[in-house]
Amino acid sequence: MTGARHRVVVTGLGVVTSIGTGVDAFAAGLRAGRSGAKPITAFDTTGFAYSNACEITDFDPEAWITEQSPDDLGRAAQFAVAASRMAVADAGLTEEQVRGVRSLVSVGTTDGESRDLDHLTGLQVTSGDDVLDAVVARRVWPGRLSAGIVRELGLEDVETVTVPTACAAGNYAVGYGYDAISSGDVEMALCGGADALCRKTFTGFYRLGTIAPDVCRPFDADRQGILTGEGAGILLMESLESALARGARIYAEVLGYGLSCDASHPVAPDRDSIARCITAAHRNAGIEAADVDFISAHGTGTKANDVTEVGAIRQVFGDELPRTVSIKSMIGHTMGAASALASAACALALRDGFIPPTVNHRTTDPECAVDCVPNEAVAADLKVVQNNGLAFGGNNAVLVLGRWDTAPVPTVA
Amino acid sequence: MTTQIPALDETEQGQIKDIVCDILELELDEVTDTSLFKEEHDADSLRTIEILASLERTFGITLKQSELSRMVNLAGVYAVVAEAKAQ
Amino acid sequence: MAAETGAPPAELVISGWAVSSPYGLGRAAFAGGLASGRRAIAPLDGADWPVPYEEAGLIPGFDIKAVLGRKGTRSMDRVTGIAATTVGMLLEEYGTGLAADPESTGLVLGTSGSVQSIMDFTRDALTGDKPYLVDPARFPNTVMNCPTGQSAIRHTLKGPNVTVSGGAATALLSLQYASRLLRGGHGRALLAGAAEEFSVQRARLERVADHGGAAPQPLGEGAALFLLQDAADARESGRPVLATVLGSRFRAFQDTARAGTALERCVADVLAAAGATPDDVELIAPGTPPGLLGKQEESALDGLTGNRLPVRSLVGDAGAASAAFQLAAVLAEAEADPRLVDRLTLVTAVDRDGTAGALLLRLA
Repeated sequence: MTGARHRVVVTGLGVVTSIGTGVDAFAAGLRAGRSGAKPITAFDTTGFAYSNACEITDFDPEAWITEQSPDDLGRAAQFAVAASRMAVADAGLTEEQVRGVRSLVSVGTTDGESRDLDHLTGLQVTSGDDVLDAVVARRVWPGRLSAGIVRELGLEDVETVTVPTACAAGNYAVGYGYDAISSGDVEMALCGGADALCRKTFTGFYRLGTIAPDVCRPFDADRQGILTGEGAGILLMESLESALARGARIYAEVLGYGLSCDASHPVAPDRDSIARCITAAHRNAGIEAADVDFISAHGTGTKANDVTEVGAIRQVFGDELPRTVSIKSMIGHTMGAASALASAACALALRDGFIPPTVNHRTTDPECAVDCVPNEAVAADLKVVQNNGLAFGGNNAVLVLGRWDTAPVPTVA
Repeated sequence: MTTQIPALDETEQGQIKDIVCDILELELDEVTDTSLFKEEHDADSLRTIEILASLERTFGITLKQSELSRMVNLAGVYAVVAEAKAQ
Repeated sequence: MAAETGAPPAELVISGWAVSSPYGLGRAAFAGGLASGRRAIAPLDGADWPVPYEEAGLIPGFDIKAVLGRKGTRSMDRVTGIAATTVGMLLEEYGTGLAADPESTGLVLGTSGSVQSIMDFTRDALTGDKPYLVDPARFPNTVMNCPTGQSAIRHTLKGPNVTVSGGAATALLSLQYASRLLRGGHGRALLAGAAEEFSVQRARLERVADHGGAAPQPLGEGAALFLLQDAADARESGRPVLATVLGSRFRAFQDTARAGTALERCVADVLAAAGATPDDVELIAPGTPPGLLGKQEESALDGLTGNRLPVRSLVGDAGAASAAFQLAAVLAEAEADPRLVDRLTLVTAVDRDGTAGALLLRLA
């Protein structure tokens, strides 16, 4: 159905995470295997038997948000705006240059501004149903996550969309940017995901018995679940021609992506459907499974996810599994930001030649036996990496990135 | 230690059966004390956690997640709830 | 547009649609209601709906269990029920053959989920004896893709399952997303559209939103979905081609006073890309938001002589579903008026958060 398309590259990264804000701090954190786990301060945790999360405690919205009042944005949108500013600067672009081309802004999220909705609910409970904080009430709609970026950067020739496809949303948003650029619809895209810690989501996972009491240990025999996290990851993407013409530093090429839906269960992952998604991504990217040098797994660290996900990987890759890591061991499950931040990590890995570790690891579970690069990053000559994102609603999205100078030219689109 | 735990009365057992049938979308006569939630009534892990959560709210008890492995049928649930109430 | 030499340009068409609206469930109720010009907004019972609004456009008597049955609906929230119902109606009428290829059939749904479900869940956490005594079955409802994922589960849609959000422009963004997925080869038939629910919490939040200096308008709810696929695929499977999607354009505006300029550019661009002129546009379904935003939209459409279809004034502010209702109104009108065959139609939206958008279709 499609003809030759533009190649798409990542030239700027903006990240806000519990192990570092800004691409250099994040990269250093990934290499060092830093952990963002700590007791929650975002809300009162009295009554929970345990309450660690990967919270960001040093974020200063006013350092990044200057063209609008930070109060007009919830915490998730603030993260998204900050990460976008960083991505533009990291790409060596001025905001004026971004304003000068047709662009797409797509931001994935799980919870939008649910932290604000928690606050409004708390007010109703303590002060009465009619009590409302109007400033907060105006900023709760998820469209603000992307609209806030557009406003901050003063973009006009732009398509602005929020993609609330839960915990795989970052990959959906990046994949959308890939299609928009490769088809020639837009020249640049700021894509990724953002979420803020909130009581609602911590409580839900706690009730499901999927919050780890101490730390997140993906693929470990003793893994006990996730730690919730927060942050934002934004990728600045552009066509290869555009990047080459302006002499941009290229992190990675986006080779393609695949989507699938389990259509079976609201929260339990489905092995066959994930395998189908991986295969679709490989086909879209024009690669074979054997080309993949490492997998950045969804890797939440729950019993069910890790077994099912590795089973799906095995279904596609056979017995020769590439190294499979989870950066959630370091930054927690950042929900809609998760696969965007993992994409950023993959891009850094490709540029700098290393594989980020899976920290907190003791003994690999034979039921999900992978080389998860335990505890310490390793140097590696990488050409192609795969980034998995899985979500509630059976929403799977797998992204494939390649080192741009050696990336195979896609033969199918 | 199980010998000292008082059994649930009929009302309590009835309450539990109602909860289970509601969550598993079953009629009361479709489930017996020994019919298995997962194998015979299509229950998945989310449904069993729903049952656990609902029991905690209804009886004001605290159940460990590990008790899920015993809550495979009504008889198992009765035993787990009886123990929790006795604590 | 996407295609270059060697491949024929994909012709994307709408080959089916369904709607749940304040006129009732189904296309007939919607088309009949619009044609009669009857306002589908009714007084609210304050006991059921303790909200700062006197009236609203509710789907009359909507009851999830009555429509979808008892199975799988115990913990389902309203917006999910509305979405799943509408997906079901579309597939029932137009879905022949799609079930044979579930992995290529998907759903792109515009929604911001249910603020009611999210806030109810937190309320349980805050008011229970312990902060975790919540109903786990309701946790998925608090995630915004719940209506999309649940609709896929009920109707076995295994292809792309995407949730998008962008205020009043949501449905236009949803159709755009679906179009790109189809052009990118990620599916062969996609249901695209949007869903919204009326709820106490939505009403409380909307009451204090920016209404452009005007009084808040009554809220509406419902969903409209459109089956999007390649024209050849539609014909092959015996589905009618109802309209050809010629394209969409979006722009942003920093302040409301520039919304008109932004929309004007969108309209000019989308017409130019289709090689059309303003005179070719026979029918327009504008978003008609209140206050200054509405005036800006009007001024942007000044140069177009086509007939205007009023929608919001009849069904209320349907939030995420607004533009979906507008597009549904266009298709209903086209069905009733044979003179619209081969004529162009525009659906426009201006959102208070700064997005202007225009979708251009050729009616069949």
